Amino acid sequence: MRMKELLKQLEQLLNEKDLDLLKIQELKTEILKNHIKGLKIENYIGDYPTFMEPVILGDSVKIGDDVLIGPKVYIGTDSVIEDYAEISNSIIFDNVKIGKNFKLDSCIIINNSKLNFDNFSSKNCILKGIAESEEELEIIRER
Amino acid sequence: MSEKRKKDIQRIKELESINLATDDIRDLVVQTKMKVAKDNEQLARQNNEELKEHNIKSVDIVGAIGAGKTALIEKIVEILSEKYRILVICGDITTRVDADRIQAHNAESIQINTGRECALNAYHIHKIIENKDLDDYDLLFIENVGNLICPSEFTLGTDTRITVVSTTEGEWVIEKHPMLFKMSQVAVINKIDLAERLGTNVQKMLKDAKEINPNIKVITTSAKTGKNIDKLIDILEL
Ligand SMILES: Nc1nc2c(ncn2[C@@H]2O[C@H](COP(=O)(O)OP(=O)(O)OP(=O)(O)O)[C@@H](O)[C@H]2O)c(=O)[nH]1
Ligand SMILES: [Mg+2]
Repeated sequence: MRMKELLKQLEQLLNEKDLDLLKIQELKTEILKNHIKGLKIENYIGDYPTFMEPVILGDSVKIGDDVLIGPKVYIGTDSVIEDYAEISNSIIFDNVKIGKNFKLDSCIIINNSKLNFDNFSSKNCILKGIAESEEELEIIRER
Repeated sequence: MSEKRKKDIQRIKELESINLATDDIRDLVVQTKMKVAKDNEQLARQNNEELKEHNIKSVDIVGAIGAGKTALIEKIVEILSEKYRILVICGDITTRVDADRIQAHNAESIQINTGRECALNAYHIHKIIENKDLDDYDLLFIENVGNLICPSEFTLGTDTRITVVSTTEGEWVIEKHPMLFKMSQVAVINKIDLAERLGTNVQKMLKDAKEINPNIKVITTSAKTGKNIDKLIDILEL
Protein backbone atom coordinates (compact mmCIF):
# COMPACT_ATOMS: atom_id res chain seq x y z
CA MET A 1 0.00 0.00 0.00
CA ARG A 2 1.31 3.41 -1.03
CA MET A 3 0.56 5.07 2.33
CA LYS A 4 2.67 2.52 4.22
CA GLU A 5 5.58 3.08 1.83
CA LEU A 6 5.46 6.84 2.23
CA LEU A 7 5.24 6.54 6.00
CA LYS A 8 8.37 4.36 5.90
CA GLN A 9 10.14 7.00 3.84
CA LEU A 10 9.09 9.68 6.29
CA GLU A 11 10.30 7.59 9.18
CA GLN A 12 13.69 7.21 7.49
CA LEU A 13 13.96 10.97 6.94
CA LEU A 14 13.15 11.51 10.60
CA ASN A 15 15.86 9.15 11.73
CA GLU A 16 18.63 10.90 9.80
CA LYS A 17 21.15 12.90 11.75
CA ASP A 18 20.58 16.21 10.03
CA LEU A 19 16.88 16.57 9.45
CA ASP A 20 15.83 17.83 6.05
CA LEU A 21 12.87 19.81 7.36
CA LEU A 22 11.67 20.95 3.98
CA LYS A 23 11.53 17.41 2.64
CA ILE A 24 9.87 16.17 5.82
CA GLN A 25 7.21 18.82 5.62
CA GLU A 26 6.56 18.09 1.95
CA LEU A 27 6.21 14.40 2.55
CA LYS A 28 3.98 14.90 5.59
CA THR A 29 1.69 17.18 3.61
CA GLU A 30 1.58 14.73 0.73
CA ILE A 31 0.66 11.83 3.01
CA LEU A 32 -2.02 13.73 4.91
CA LYS A 33 -3.52 15.29 1.81
CA ASN A 34 -3.53 12.40 -0.62
CA HIS A 35 -3.06 9.15 1.25
CA ILE A 36 -5.02 9.36 4.48
CA LYS A 37 -8.60 8.63 3.38
CA GLY A 38 -11.82 7.59 5.08
CA LEU A 39 -12.13 6.04 8.49
CA LYS A 40 -10.01 3.04 9.44
CA ILE A 41 -10.61 2.83 13.13
CA GLU A 42 -11.70 -0.76 13.72
CA ASN A 43 -9.08 -1.94 16.14
CA TYR A 44 -8.64 0.75 18.72
CA ILE A 45 -9.03 0.17 22.44
CA GLY A 46 -11.08 2.84 24.17
CA ASP A 47 -14.42 4.30 24.96
CA TYR A 48 -15.93 5.98 21.89
CA PRO A 49 -13.79 9.04 21.21
CA THR A 50 -14.77 11.55 18.53
CA PHE A 51 -13.33 10.92 15.06
CA MET A 52 -13.49 13.42 12.21
CA GLU A 53 -12.46 11.68 9.02
CA PRO A 54 -10.04 11.09 7.50
CA VAL A 55 -8.51 9.11 10.33
CA ILE A 56 -6.41 5.96 10.10
CA LEU A 57 -5.43 4.00 13.18
CA GLY A 58 -2.98 1.13 13.39
CA ASP A 59 -3.78 -1.93 15.49
CA SER A 60 -4.31 -1.69 19.23
CA VAL A 61 -4.14 2.07 19.54
CA LYS A 62 -5.32 3.00 23.04
CA ILE A 63 -7.49 6.09 23.33
CA GLY A 64 -8.70 7.77 26.53
CA ASP A 65 -11.87 9.69 27.37
CA ASP A 66 -13.05 12.89 25.73
CA VAL A 67 -10.56 12.69 22.89
CA LEU A 68 -11.00 14.47 19.55
CA ILE A 69 -9.11 12.95 16.61
CA GLY A 70 -9.05 14.31 13.07
CA PRO A 71 -9.37 15.48 10.45
CA LYS A 72 -6.26 14.07 8.73
CA VAL A 73 -4.66 11.95 11.37
CA TYR A 74 -2.59 8.77 11.27
CA ILE A 75 -1.75 6.96 14.48
CA GLY A 76 0.55 3.94 14.39
CA THR A 77 0.25 0.55 16.08
CA ASP A 78 0.29 0.29 19.87
CA SER A 79 0.37 4.03 20.48
CA VAL A 80 -1.40 5.44 23.53
CA ILE A 81 -3.43 8.67 23.48
CA GLU A 82 -4.53 9.78 26.93
CA ASP A 83 -7.69 11.68 27.98
CA TYR A 84 -8.71 15.08 26.56
CA ALA A 85 -6.28 14.94 23.64
CA GLU A 86 -7.09 16.89 20.49
CA ILE A 87 -5.14 15.92 17.40
CA SER A 88 -5.50 17.12 13.82
CA ASN A 89 -3.31 17.09 10.68
CA SER A 90 -0.77 14.92 12.40
CA ILE A 91 1.21 11.72 12.05
CA ILE A 92 1.95 9.76 15.18
CA PHE A 93 4.19 6.76 14.57
CA ASP A 94 4.15 3.35 16.29
CA ASN A 95 4.47 2.78 19.98
CA VAL A 96 4.18 6.40 21.04
CA LYS A 97 2.65 7.55 24.30
CA ILE A 98 1.35 11.03 25.01
CA GLY A 99 -0.02 12.34 28.32
CA LYS A 100 -3.36 13.91 29.12
CA ASN A 101 -4.69 17.03 27.48
CA PHE A 102 -2.30 17.21 24.51
CA LYS A 103 -3.42 19.59 21.75
CA LEU A 104 -1.52 18.95 18.52
CA ASP A 105 -2.05 20.35 15.05
CA SER A 106 0.28 19.63 12.11
CA CYS A 107 2.69 17.64 14.21
CA ILE A 108 4.72 14.46 13.88
CA ILE A 109 5.69 12.25 16.79
CA ILE A 110 8.58 9.91 16.09
CA ASN A 111 8.16 6.21 16.91
CA ASN A 112 8.78 4.96 20.44
CA SER A 113 8.53 8.48 21.88
CA LYS A 114 7.10 8.55 25.40
CA LEU A 115 5.78 11.91 26.46
CA ASN A 116 5.01 11.14 30.08
CA PHE A 117 3.55 14.46 31.13
CA ASP A 118 0.22 16.28 30.78
CA ASN A 119 -1.04 19.56 29.29
CA PHE A 120 0.94 20.29 26.16
CA SER A 121 -0.08 22.29 23.14
CA SER A 122 1.79 22.76 19.86
CA LYS A 123 1.45 23.40 16.14
CA ASN A 124 3.88 22.52 13.31
CA CYS A 125 6.22 20.48 15.42
CA ILE A 126 8.22 17.28 15.39
CA LEU A 127 8.37 15.60 18.79
CA LYS A 128 10.82 12.97 19.86
CA GLY A 129 12.28 11.30 22.90
CA ILE A 130 11.43 9.91 26.27
CA ALA A 131 10.44 12.82 28.46
CA GLU A 132 8.99 13.20 31.91
CA SER A 133 8.34 16.91 31.40
CA GLU A 134 8.01 19.42 28.59
CA GLU A 135 11.57 20.65 29.27
CA GLU A 136 13.04 17.22 28.59
CA LEU A 137 11.25 16.87 25.31
CA GLU A 138 13.03 17.30 22.01
CA ILE A 139 10.90 19.68 19.98
CA ILE A 140 11.81 20.53 16.43
CA ARG A 141 9.79 23.42 15.04
CA GLU A 142 8.86 23.39 11.43
CA ARG A 143 8.50 26.62 9.64
CA MET B 1 -36.71 23.61 28.60
CA SER B 2 -37.03 25.91 31.63
CA GLU B 3 -34.05 27.98 32.72
CA LYS B 4 -33.86 25.97 35.92
CA ARG B 5 -33.78 22.66 34.10
CA LYS B 6 -31.08 23.97 31.78
CA LYS B 7 -29.00 25.02 34.78
CA ASP B 8 -29.49 21.63 36.40
CA ILE B 9 -28.34 19.83 33.31
CA GLN B 10 -25.34 22.11 33.01
CA ARG B 11 -24.48 21.42 36.66
CA ILE B 12 -24.76 17.66 36.18
CA LYS B 13 -22.47 17.85 33.19
CA GLU B 14 -19.92 19.81 35.17
CA LEU B 15 -20.04 17.32 38.01
CA GLU B 16 -19.60 14.47 35.59
CA SER B 17 -16.57 16.06 34.05
CA ILE B 18 -15.09 16.72 37.47
CA ASN B 19 -15.45 13.07 38.39
CA LEU B 20 -13.81 11.95 35.17
CA ALA B 21 -10.79 14.17 35.58
CA THR B 22 -7.92 13.48 37.89
CA ASP B 23 -6.95 16.09 40.47
CA ASP B 24 -4.25 17.90 38.59
CA ILE B 25 -6.31 18.80 35.54
CA ARG B 26 -9.79 18.95 37.04
CA ASP B 27 -10.04 22.73 36.96
CA LEU B 28 -8.73 22.87 33.46
CA VAL B 29 -11.31 20.38 32.24
CA VAL B 30 -14.20 22.21 33.87
CA GLN B 31 -12.99 25.53 32.55
CA THR B 32 -12.54 24.15 29.07
CA LYS B 33 -16.01 22.66 29.07
CA MET B 34 -17.64 25.91 30.12
CA LYS B 35 -15.64 27.78 27.55
CA VAL B 36 -16.73 25.38 24.83
CA ALA B 37 -20.39 26.10 25.52
CA LYS B 38 -19.83 29.83 25.45
CA ASP B 39 -17.63 29.71 22.41
CA ASN B 40 -20.06 27.64 20.38
CA GLU B 41 -22.24 30.57 19.38
CA GLN B 42 -19.28 32.67 18.40
CA LEU B 43 -17.68 29.85 16.47
CA ALA B 44 -20.97 29.19 14.70
CA ARG B 45 -21.09 32.80 13.54
CA GLN B 46 -17.51 32.52 12.35
CA ASN B 47 -18.37 29.34 10.41
CA ASN B 48 -21.25 31.13 8.73
CA GLU B 49 -19.12 34.09 7.75
CA GLU B 50 -16.47 31.82 6.30
CA LEU B 51 -19.01 29.84 4.27
CA LYS B 52 -20.62 33.05 3.01
CA GLU B 53 -17.24 34.45 2.00
CA HIS B 54 -16.89 31.43 -0.29
CA ASN B 55 -20.47 31.72 -1.55
CA ILE B 56 -21.44 28.42 -0.01
CA LYS B 57 -25.07 27.90 0.93
CA SER B 58 -25.47 25.79 4.01
CA VAL B 59 -28.22 23.69 5.56
CA ASP B 60 -28.17 21.49 8.65
CA ILE B 61 -30.65 18.74 9.32
CA VAL B 62 -31.57 17.60 12.79
CA GLY B 63 -34.21 15.11 13.87
CA ALA B 64 -34.99 11.90 15.64
CA ILE B 65 -33.19 8.62 14.97
CA GLY B 66 -34.46 7.13 11.74
CA ALA B 67 -36.76 10.02 10.80
CA GLY B 68 -35.24 10.02 7.31
CA LYS B 69 -32.50 12.66 7.47
CA THR B 70 -30.08 10.72 5.29
CA ALA B 71 -32.84 9.57 2.93
CA LEU B 72 -33.92 13.20 2.40
CA ILE B 73 -30.37 14.34 1.75
CA GLU B 74 -29.93 11.47 -0.73
CA LYS B 75 -33.02 12.61 -2.64
CA ILE B 76 -32.04 16.27 -2.58
CA VAL B 77 -28.48 15.55 -3.64
CA GLU B 78 -29.71 13.38 -6.50
CA ILE B 79 -31.58 16.39 -7.89
CA LEU B 80 -29.02 19.09 -7.10
CA SER B 81 -25.69 17.41 -7.84
CA GLU B 82 -25.75 18.65 -11.44
CA LYS B 83 -26.27 22.23 -10.34
CA TYR B 84 -24.03 22.45 -7.28
CA ARG B 85 -20.78 21.01 -6.01
CA ILE B 86 -22.00 19.52 -2.75
CA LEU B 87 -20.25 18.60 0.47
CA VAL B 88 -22.18 16.60 3.07
CA ILE B 89 -21.00 16.23 6.66
CA CYS B 90 -22.65 13.31 8.46
CA GLY B 91 -22.71 13.09 12.23
CA ASP B 92 -23.28 9.74 13.90
CA ILE B 93 -22.24 8.13 17.16
CA THR B 94 -20.28 5.46 15.25
CA THR B 95 -20.02 3.97 11.73
CA ARG B 96 -19.65 5.41 8.24
CA VAL B 97 -22.97 4.08 6.95
CA ASP B 98 -24.60 7.46 6.20
CA ALA B 99 -21.52 8.93 4.53
CA ASP B 100 -21.34 5.86 2.28
CA ARG B 101 -25.01 6.24 1.34
CA ILE B 102 -24.50 9.89 0.38
CA GLN B 103 -21.33 9.18 -1.55
CA ALA B 104 -23.26 6.87 -3.83
CA HIS B 105 -25.10 9.97 -5.14
CA ASN B 106 -22.18 11.97 -6.49
CA ALA B 107 -21.59 14.14 -3.49
CA GLU B 108 -18.51 14.22 -1.33
CA SER B 109 -19.25 13.15 2.23
CA ILE B 110 -17.33 13.41 5.46
CA GLN B 111 -18.23 11.31 8.46
CA ILE B 112 -17.85 12.55 12.01
CA ASN B 113 -18.23 9.91 14.71
CA THR B 114 -19.16 11.82 17.82
CA GLY B 115 -18.72 8.85 20.16
CA ARG B 116 -20.13 9.80 23.53
CA GLU B 117 -21.40 13.19 22.38
CA CYS B 118 -25.02 13.24 21.26
CA ALA B 119 -24.74 16.17 18.83
CA LEU B 120 -22.35 17.91 16.48
CA ASN B 121 -21.09 21.30 17.59
CA ALA B 122 -19.71 24.36 15.83
CA TYR B 123 -16.15 23.32 16.64
CA HIS B 124 -16.53 20.08 14.67
CA ILE B 125 -17.70 22.04 11.65
CA HIS B 126 -14.96 24.61 12.12
CA LYS B 127 -12.32 21.86 12.10
CA ILE B 128 -13.73 20.38 8.89
CA ILE B 129 -14.06 23.61 6.92
CA GLU B 130 -10.67 24.84 8.08
CA ASN B 131 -9.21 21.75 6.43
CA LYS B 132 -11.11 21.97 3.17
CA ASP B 133 -10.60 24.15 0.13
CA LEU B 134 -13.94 25.94 0.27
CA ASP B 135 -13.63 27.14 -3.30
CA ASP B 136 -14.41 23.56 -4.32
CA TYR B 137 -18.01 23.68 -3.08
CA ASP B 138 -21.26 25.60 -3.57
CA LEU B 139 -23.49 23.84 -1.10
CA LEU B 140 -22.99 22.27 2.33
CA PHE B 141 -25.38 19.87 4.03
CA ILE B 142 -24.82 18.76 7.59
CA GLU B 143 -26.70 15.81 9.03
CA ASN B 144 -26.65 15.88 12.79
CA VAL B 145 -26.65 12.87 15.10
CA GLY B 146 -30.18 11.42 15.33
CA ASN B 147 -31.60 13.10 18.41
CA LEU B 148 -34.43 15.55 19.07
CA ILE B 149 -32.89 17.12 22.17
CA CYS B 150 -29.09 17.53 22.23
CA PRO B 151 -28.67 19.45 18.95
CA SER B 152 -30.73 22.33 20.37
CA GLU B 153 -27.77 23.25 22.55
CA PHE B 154 -25.49 23.82 19.59
CA THR B 155 -25.97 25.88 16.48
CA LEU B 156 -23.49 25.05 13.75
CA GLY B 157 -23.40 28.20 11.66
CA THR B 158 -25.52 27.16 8.70
CA ASP B 159 -27.96 29.49 6.89
CA THR B 160 -30.90 27.20 7.51
CA ARG B 161 -31.73 24.53 10.06
CA ILE B 162 -34.28 21.85 9.20
CA THR B 163 -35.88 19.71 11.87
CA VAL B 164 -37.19 16.40 10.56
CA VAL B 165 -39.73 14.17 12.25
CA SER B 166 -41.72 11.38 10.68
CA THR B 167 -45.25 10.09 10.85
CA THR B 168 -44.03 6.88 12.49
CA GLU B 169 -43.08 8.80 15.62
CA GLY B 170 -46.72 9.64 16.35
CA GLU B 171 -48.57 12.95 16.27
CA TRP B 172 -47.28 14.11 19.67
CA VAL B 173 -43.62 14.16 18.69
CA ILE B 174 -43.57 17.87 17.78
CA GLU B 175 -45.58 19.01 20.79
CA LYS B 176 -43.26 17.03 23.08
CA HIS B 177 -40.02 18.37 21.59
CA PRO B 178 -40.48 22.09 21.01
CA MET B 179 -36.85 23.22 21.39
CA LEU B 180 -35.55 22.32 17.97
CA PHE B 181 -38.64 23.68 16.23
CA LYS B 182 -38.14 27.01 17.97
CA MET B 183 -34.67 27.37 16.50
CA SER B 184 -35.34 25.95 13.02
CA GLN B 185 -36.46 27.72 9.87
CA VAL B 186 -38.00 24.63 8.29
CA ALA B 187 -39.91 21.67 9.76
CA VAL B 188 -40.25 18.51 7.70
CA ILE B 189 -42.81 15.83 8.47
CA ASN B 190 -41.41 12.86 6.58
CA LYS B 191 -42.75 9.39 5.73
CA ILE B 192 -46.04 10.95 4.72
CA ASP B 193 -46.58 7.84 2.58
CA LEU B 194 -47.16 5.92 5.81
CA ALA B 195 -49.48 8.41 7.53
CA GLU B 196 -52.72 6.87 6.36
CA ARG B 197 -51.80 3.32 7.23
CA LEU B 198 -50.60 4.37 10.67
CA GLY B 199 -53.51 6.73 11.25
CA THR B 200 -51.16 9.52 12.27
CA ASN B 201 -52.85 12.89 12.74
CA VAL B 202 -50.67 14.96 10.43
CA GLN B 203 -52.89 18.04 10.78
CA LYS B 204 -52.09 18.16 14.49
CA MET B 205 -48.37 17.96 13.72
CA LEU B 206 -48.62 20.83 11.23
CA LYS B 207 -50.57 22.90 13.73
CA ASP B 208 -48.14 22.18 16.60
CA ALA B 209 -45.12 23.25 14.58
CA LYS B 210 -46.78 26.56 13.68
CA GLU B 211 -47.86 27.13 17.26
CA ILE B 212 -44.37 26.55 18.60
CA ASN B 213 -42.78 28.75 15.96
CA PRO B 214 -45.12 30.91 13.84
CA ASN B 215 -42.27 31.72 11.45
CA ILE B 216 -41.36 28.14 10.67
CA LYS B 217 -42.10 26.74 7.21
CA VAL B 218 -43.67 23.31 7.47
CA ILE B 219 -43.79 20.69 4.74
CA THR B 220 -44.76 17.03 4.50
CA THR B 221 -42.49 14.79 2.42
CA SER B 222 -41.75 11.23 1.51
CA ALA B 223 -38.13 10.38 0.88
CA LYS B 224 -39.41 7.02 -0.35
CA THR B 225 -41.79 8.17 -3.09
CA GLY B 226 -40.07 11.52 -3.61
CA LYS B 227 -43.23 13.45 -2.75
CA ASN B 228 -42.64 17.17 -2.14
CA ILE B 229 -38.86 16.91 -2.37
CA ASP B 230 -39.02 19.53 -5.12
CA LYS B 231 -41.08 21.77 -2.84
CA LEU B 232 -38.56 21.34 -0.05
CA ILE B 233 -35.82 22.42 -2.43
CA ASP B 234 -37.91 25.49 -3.30
CA ILE B 235 -38.36 26.35 0.36
CA LEU B 236 -34.61 26.11 0.84
CA GLU B 237 -34.22 28.44 -2.17
CA LEU B 238 -31.74 26.05 -3.79
N1 LIG C 1 -41.77 4.66 4.06
C1 LIG C 1 -40.79 5.55 4.18
N2 LIG C 1 -39.61 5.17 4.68
C2 LIG C 1 -38.64 6.11 4.80
C3 LIG C 1 -38.83 7.46 4.40
N3 LIG C 1 -37.69 8.15 4.66
C4 LIG C 1 -36.81 7.26 5.18
N4 LIG C 1 -37.39 6.03 5.26
C5 LIG C 1 -36.76 4.80 5.80
O1 LIG C 1 -36.56 4.98 7.18
C6 LIG C 1 -35.33 4.37 7.60
C7 LIG C 1 -34.40 5.40 8.27
O2 LIG C 1 -34.05 6.38 7.31
P1 LIG C 1 -32.69 7.20 7.41
O3 LIG C 1 -32.61 8.09 6.24
O4 LIG C 1 -31.56 6.28 7.67
O5 LIG C 1 -32.98 8.03 8.74
P2 LIG C 1 -32.00 9.01 9.52
O6 LIG C 1 -32.83 10.08 10.11
O7 LIG C 1 -30.87 9.42 8.66
O8 LIG C 1 -31.45 8.04 10.67
P3 LIG C 1 -30.17 8.23 11.65
O9 LIG C 1 -29.10 8.88 10.86
O10 LIG C 1 -29.86 6.82 12.05
O11 LIG C 1 -30.66 9.04 12.79
C8 LIG C 1 -34.73 3.75 6.36
O12 LIG C 1 -35.07 2.41 6.31
C9 LIG C 1 -35.39 4.54 5.22
O13 LIG C 1 -35.47 3.80 4.04
C10 LIG C 1 -40.11 7.82 3.88
O14 LIG C 1 -40.37 8.98 3.52
N5 LIG C 1 -41.05 6.83 3.79
MG1 LIG D 1 -28.81 9.27 8.94
